[in-house]
Amino acid sequence: MSERITDIGPPKYDKFLPPVIKDNYGKWKYHEILEPGVLMHVSESGAKIFSVRGGSGRLVSTDFIKEVCDIADKFCDGYLRFTSRNNVEFLLTDQGKIADVKDACKKMGIPIGATGHSVSNIVHTQGWVHCHTPAIDASGIVKAVMDDLFEYFGSHKLPAQVRIALACCLNMCGAVHCSDIAILGIHRTAPKVDHERLRHLCEIPTTIASCPTGAIRPHPDKAIKSVVINEPRCMYCGNCYTMCPALPVFDSQKGGVALLVGGKVSNAKSPPIFSKLAVPYLPNNPPRWPETVQAIRKILTKYAEGANKYERVGEWVERIGWEKFFEVCDIPFTFQHIDDYRWAYDTYRTSMHFKF
Amino acid sequence: MALSKEALAEYIYDMVAKAQGKKNLKAMDVQKAVLKEHPDQNKNDIKFAIKDLIDGGRCVYTYFGGSYIEIPHEEGAAKKV
Amino acid sequence: MHKTPLLDQLESGPWPSFIKDLKRVAARKKPAADLLGLLERSYKDKITHWKHGGIVGVLGYGSGIIGRYTDLPEEFPGVEHFHTVRVNQPSGWFYTTKALRELCDIWDEHGSSILNVHGSTGDMIFLGTTTPELEPCFAKLTAKGWDLGGSGSAMRSPSCCVGMARCEWSCYDTMDLCYEATQNFQFEMHRPSFPYKFKIKCSGCPNDCVAAVARADMSVIGVWKDDIRIDQAAVKAYAGGELKPRGGATPYAKLDVQADVVALCPTACMAFDGKTLKIDNKNCNHCMHCISLMPQALRPGTETGATLLLGSHAPILEGAQMSWVIVPFMEMETPYEPFMDLVANITEWWSENGKNRERVGELMLRLGMRAFFKGVGLEPPPQTVKTPRANPFFFWHEEDFEAEAAGRKYIK
Repeated sequence: MSERITDIGPPKYDKFLPPVIKDNYGKWKYHEILEPGVLMHVSESGAKIFSVRGGSGRLVSTDFIKEVCDIADKFCDGYLRFTSRNNVEFLLTDQGKIADVKDACKKMGIPIGATGHSVSNIVHTQGWVHCHTPAIDASGIVKAVMDDLFEYFGSHKLPAQVRIALACCLNMCGAVHCSDIAILGIHRTAPKVDHERLRHLCEIPTTIASCPTGAIRPHPDKAIKSVVINEPRCMYCGNCYTMCPALPVFDSQKGGVALLVGGKVSNAKSPPIFSKLAVPYLPNNPPRWPETVQAIRKILTKYAEGANKYERVGEWVERIGWEKFFEVCDIPFTFQHIDDYRWAYDTYRTSMHFKF
Repeated sequence: MALSKEALAEYIYDMVAKAQGKKNLKAMDVQKAVLKEHPDQNKNDIKFAIKDLIDGGRCVYTYFGGSYIEIPHEEGAAKKV
Repeated sequence: MHKTPLLDQLESGPWPSFIKDLKRVAARKKPAADLLGLLERSYKDKITHWKHGGIVGVLGYGSGIIGRYTDLPEEFPGVEHFHTVRVNQPSGWFYTTKALRELCDIWDEHGSSILNVHGSTGDMIFLGTTTPELEPCFAKLTAKGWDLGGSGSAMRSPSCCVGMARCEWSCYDTMDLCYEATQNFQFEMHRPSFPYKFKIKCSGCPNDCVAAVARADMSVIGVWKDDIRIDQAAVKAYAGGELKPRGGATPYAKLDVQADVVALCPTACMAFDGKTLKIDNKNCNHCMHCISLMPQALRPGTETGATLLLGSHAPILEGAQMSWVIVPFMEMETPYEPFMDLVANITEWWSENGKNRERVGELMLRLGMRAFFKGVGLEPPPQTVKTPRANPFFFWHEEDFEAEAAGRKYIK
């Protein structure tokens, strides 16, 4: 057996760069977006590279990847990349082949878009496909929402770009906390202890230690060899279930979706903003989560109507005020909207600057 | 006094074996415990002693919300109960 | 094949259907068929059917493999074990079709043929294989030049925006820094020895296309110190409507330079008299708004580098944080020694002082910024704060009096 190879890291990026990029690396001068989903970057040297951007489901098969490769082989000399929002980009030097790439994508069912003032692909997590603590599915909700917002993916109709993200529980592997619209799976009840299974599957000291809020204690009846949960202290993170499979955190009836809005990471005009709670609960309603889809469409539509030019969702909401946001989007205000966690005071209004 | 390479590995292995099921030890817990008893032990020695134990399969890294060093065992999730 | 009436409803509609895609694999592979069956069950039950596995891995590594087991192994034996393999992505997610096909062949042979392009941290995620397949899969990957990414309480796979490869705004070589940092921290990536995860993300400019400020403990964001480069002829072309705002990617036919650019500048450092655009660069806070709107007229300056921000993480445990400025400007030239040294200092300080599962940003808040700056050997720049404190609870240490007596501002 040959020697085991370890710690080599990924291949160096320059192996995968098309010649036009190698030649013009660091020399790009400007870009234009020729049409939704088609970018042209122009170098100091006058060289051009064209990128055709298409949506993917992120959760894909090797068949899908191989078909994408067929397109890149046929028209792009075998060069392509993926974006931070799970889109695929076909890299071309021959402008004449853009139409061919678009046709081939169309045949494959890959939509073209995600540039400029569009709704790009939804950054998301694993959900029921592969995660052990989700409250909701990820890919299914993304599919349902993108089907509904499809007209915004391949167009530049909005006042600014709108970035949507989904995380299937509050651990937020999708880091949805700075998105224009964030879809968040929420648990609303503490884990249920299966005492009989716990005895066989779990170590009690390490299970107790796994709780970040100290909500798990040994069962008062030592003969039971299990644990009890102080429910008011539980924050539904699921770490105890990570440690011990006899402590499932999910509940088929109570789990659901929350929507947060108004976050961004870019520094343009205003500093990066956290997303804030807009809708505390919507039912977990597979396969197409219609309540979630409708609520997002309503927020997006009201934003598109009300925002100034170049205003992100969060900038629009801050300008009109959250009380107005709730009013125009027809969202009831609840106790859940009022922060009572660590830095809550920062969110209370201490001025007369509000509207009736 | 600093331990020899072999003695250090055994020292760490015993520590991990004793903690098994009671407390999950992280690499830094191991380092701190070694240094408490043997303040002159080189930190890099500890790092590579752990590496040797893992490479030899006597210990494994585990992940249960945090990464720990344990003796290989069958985990709860793999059992059919 | 299992009956999947609920999932079947996700086959229609214009957005690519992951169900359609997975069904192709299910036709040839039992695990994929069982995955669909299990997912259908989740859609019916409205709960997940996965358990976490924390022990499986490849020999020597504590990273790169995430264990998964279903709680319904009798009904869905194809996914009884269904572990994840994180394959460290190349910088900027550039591939050749040859490389992608090789990866697909490995995953067709040793796993489910299902993957994510890409995971949240940046890795290519192979979803679903069994314990005996892990070592052969790893051997095939390394033989082709690939390695596993980070997971657990370790350095995670650094990631970056497209940078200088295809963007005129990138203020340093994000792809190269990402690659070099990944190579530099291989030990820390594969042998978890930190209190919790540590992520590095590299964005070339303040537009922050990889969300470094929100999603990385160490956020490296490109910036310039000198003047924005202006092409006044192009400014006129924007004002005249010959050039479209944002390269054409808006609903607006024409840019109103005064209203859309000058009036929206957050520092009011611009003026436009209908012919010439003037920028008071000393007062520019490099927000990128004007540059993003007029890519043919404006570009970042040429004295470039990066700002280092530290501390962001998702809500667990103290609530979500964004990274904050710790080094306002660092030159970013290969081999990036000051950067690598600082990251090593930071992770050492954090490992020494952090509690289990405490992110570096939480430790900084718990011990205070003074302890942090002193611990990692940095001086506190005023750019660190939005405002100084409003309370009177600032205290003095003996060393402050000594520094004062010696005529120094800080303690060396």
